[in-house]
Amino acid sequence: MKRVFALLCLMGLMLTTGCAKKSELRIYTWTDYLPQEVIDGFHQRTGITVTVDTYDSNETLMAKLASGVAAYDLVVPSDYIIQPLIRQKLIVPLDKSRLTNLPNLDPAFLNQRFDPGNGYSIPYLWGTTGLAYDKKKITTPVDSWDVLFDPQWTGKILMLNDPRECFAVALKRMGKSINETDPAVLHQAADMLKKQHALVRAYNSEDYDKTLASGDVLIAHGWNGQLAKVVSQNPDQFAYVLPKEGGTIWMDNVCIPTAANNADAAYLFMNYILEPEQAAKIVNGVSYASANSAAKKFISPKILNDPNIYPAADKLKGWEFLDDIGPTSRLVDDLWTEIKSQ
Amino acid sequence: MKHRWLLIHSLGVYVFLYGPILLLAALSFNRSPIGATWTGLTFNWYAKLFSDADIIDAAQRSLLIAAGATAVASVLGTAAALALSRPGTRGRGPTAGLLYLPIIVPEIVTGCALLTFFSVWRWELSLWTVGLAHISFSVSYVAIVVRARLAGIDRTLEDAAQDLGASPRAAFWRVTFPMILPGVVAGALLVFTVSIDDYVITSFVAGPASTTLPLRIASMVKTGLTPEVNAVSTLLLGLTMILVLVAQRLLRGPGEGSHI
Amino acid sequence: MGKTRSRSQRKGDRGTMLLLPTWLVLGGLLLLPLLILLGTSFHPPDDVGNPQAISNWSQFFHSGDWAHNYVQSVRPIYLRVAWRSLWLAAITTGLCLLIGYPVSFYIALIAPQRRKNLLLALAVIPFWTSFLIRISAWRIILQDRGALNALLLHLHLIYEPLRLMDTPLAVLIGLVYGELPFMILPVYASLEKLDRTLLEASSDLGASGRGTFWRVVWPLSMPGVAAGCVLVFIPGIGQFIVSDLLGGSRTMLLGNLVQNQYTSGRDKPLGAAIALELTAAVLAMLIAYAIAAKRRGMEVAL
Repeated sequence: MKRVFALLCLMGLMLTTGCAKKSELRIYTWTDYLPQEVIDGFHQRTGITVTVDTYDSNETLMAKLASGVAAYDLVVPSDYIIQPLIRQKLIVPLDKSRLTNLPNLDPAFLNQRFDPGNGYSIPYLWGTTGLAYDKKKITTPVDSWDVLFDPQWTGKILMLNDPRECFAVALKRMGKSINETDPAVLHQAADMLKKQHALVRAYNSEDYDKTLASGDVLIAHGWNGQLAKVVSQNPDQFAYVLPKEGGTIWMDNVCIPTAANNADAAYLFMNYILEPEQAAKIVNGVSYASANSAAKKFISPKILNDPNIYPAADKLKGWEFLDDIGPTSRLVDDLWTEIKSQ
Repeated sequence: MKHRWLLIHSLGVYVFLYGPILLLAALSFNRSPIGATWTGLTFNWYAKLFSDADIIDAAQRSLLIAAGATAVASVLGTAAALALSRPGTRGRGPTAGLLYLPIIVPEIVTGCALLTFFSVWRWELSLWTVGLAHISFSVSYVAIVVRARLAGIDRTLEDAAQDLGASPRAAFWRVTFPMILPGVVAGALLVFTVSIDDYVITSFVAGPASTTLPLRIASMVKTGLTPEVNAVSTLLLGLTMILVLVAQRLLRGPGEGSHI
Repeated sequence: MGKTRSRSQRKGDRGTMLLLPTWLVLGGLLLLPLLILLGTSFHPPDDVGNPQAISNWSQFFHSGDWAHNYVQSVRPIYLRVAWRSLWLAAITTGLCLLIGYPVSFYIALIAPQRRKNLLLALAVIPFWTSFLIRISAWRIILQDRGALNALLLHLHLIYEPLRLMDTPLAVLIGLVYGELPFMILPVYASLEKLDRTLLEASSDLGASGRGTFWRVVWPLSMPGVAAGCVLVFIPGIGQFIVSDLLGGSRTMLLGNLVQNQYTSGRDKPLGAAIALELTAAVLAMLIAYAIAAKRRGMEVAL
């Protein structure tokens, strides 16, 4: 009896100290962002067990990492979260010598403002935040964010449940940058969003595509990958639009948290998904664009030629990356609370 | 005459309470993956469940945590209930307060507090943190149920046993314990169901590889209800209801209509 | 050579010992975290929202910075959120009372004795099942292409789907649905203890059915009603799942607000402050209820 007890204590001790299981990789990424076959392929090649947990917002990721006690080995933050993560030492500088497949990436995506020199992150997937609408019900072609504010479509509009993205729309309508920090301008943008609140059916960042496809709303603000899927399944009924005022381009990147137990496995995985075939499998699976130019020859032509997923460069003039706006994000959050408290 | 209206109203309320559950169950057998119109009977969605590694893993974790939390909570809760029912015990008032804490404090507050707690002590989030969190709210349920049970039995029997020469320990185990056992088991079953179903607190303290079934279901629900969710939800609902029915039976002591 | 302890004293000692593990575990897992949360609520937040370490303690105290989060938490925008949560919880409580009381009445006073346990069990079982799953089930019912609309269209009662999802109505339905058992149970407990002879006496003295109800039954069921209201109201103000799943995330409630500070708000200390104020409010309500109940000689039916 005593021996069993001692054994249990030992087991407990081992588990609580989170001893690094060298054969385990723990990934924390967006929901539906990593196809199972890519994970299985990695497991078959290396024998490392991969567990994937998911989040649906950068803020949830930040909260978990910021707690300091969530020991993930690999995370996938968006652009504007990276600076705060770096400042709080929640992610580590990358040893790029371990990433031999790095040259596969398109240099145009490297060295962005949010991580100069890519000291901490490697691009994963990128896209745009636009809108998709029902062509059959809304017969005049849509090319502007105005349609989301049109009282004619009251109750048929969906916005992302994301303060920065909604403010980006309002700011672009005002001809400002999506990274505006002037409080007066932000208050004006908030007023615009407050008036819009009564027209919006729902704020949703998860199944905005399904809500549009089911007909519950006629216009959906959302990220291009999921919306492009809806459009390609029903091109006569739906269209995805990059409004003329401009908007958000976003990029999700792979990073290694400071609390990682198994950074070696993380590097192996990062290098693995930089391979052209694997990168292509990811793109084909989740239908978002990759920064990996070598992968293009393996990507399904339907996706490669889809202007909603791989837009031409000239279409993206006036489109910006979200930046970390520092202390102003608290003002944005307060205004967001006001908008939702009406 | 007015009784008829009361009957109709009550029936309506029961339909209201069970309608969604039954609908969910029905749809889990529906051939069509979308909408709510019946297109045919199928067991496909259940079959898909059993080949879905994520759900199986999540279910295993939930069962493991529930079993562990239930075991610990049952022991602690029963001990607390026994102690509270003895007039000579010191600190009964504060203890009762402590036991009511999980019921009073909103779940989101408990979640935040536990996350902060683990952060401060640099205690890595894992199945263990989830387990501890579950224990924290489970003890109270067992204590309350067993205490109610104790109130209904004759405590002097234990004294009588001691008068007849039994040691205090024997008196407890041979006399009192068998009488409260149904209460303990009922409390354990109820705590088991609470643990398997817990979402809010678990979402705060779950870490890598500790996604439980409710967390998994929540993320499936958020990305659009596929019938697989209906299937796993139906199974979970069914399991919970069976356990609670058994617990109810156990609590229905001889003659009394005791209820939770 | 102290005096020997009596059997009941020894029992008391053992009782106290039995409490020790509970205090250890619960104290460590409940009290301590709450106290730590309280501690963090006084700190300013850092970049990612964690409580920031204080470098200059005396300045921190004297300048009043320590109270900053609490001062912040009563800004008008937050008070509006709190008010909305309170209002929603109050309406939910009222509806639960309206809908639940007759059911309790029926089970306690009208249903045949042998059915009572079954009926009560049936009313209470849903409470034990997963709240999340049951609320999600309502989505299937209330959606434009959901079950309710499908039924109404099929019966030709409507010609276009009703917009039920993503409305305050949907949120209320969800809240009432989740909390109804909390009302039915205590009210039943109260009514069940009613002395039937009082009812007979009342009608013997010439009171109508309605008179008997309002003059005899209702007042005597007050303890149950009060307990039910408390049990429904308290979880009601901390709610946030229902407004997201059924209300289209259009409204920010207290629960959303707290959760927000942990995520996009990047201000965990403020979140902690609001969370603790919510808890304090709940505690205050319970204490008020307990005092009022004691004063009226009612049993505190919790």
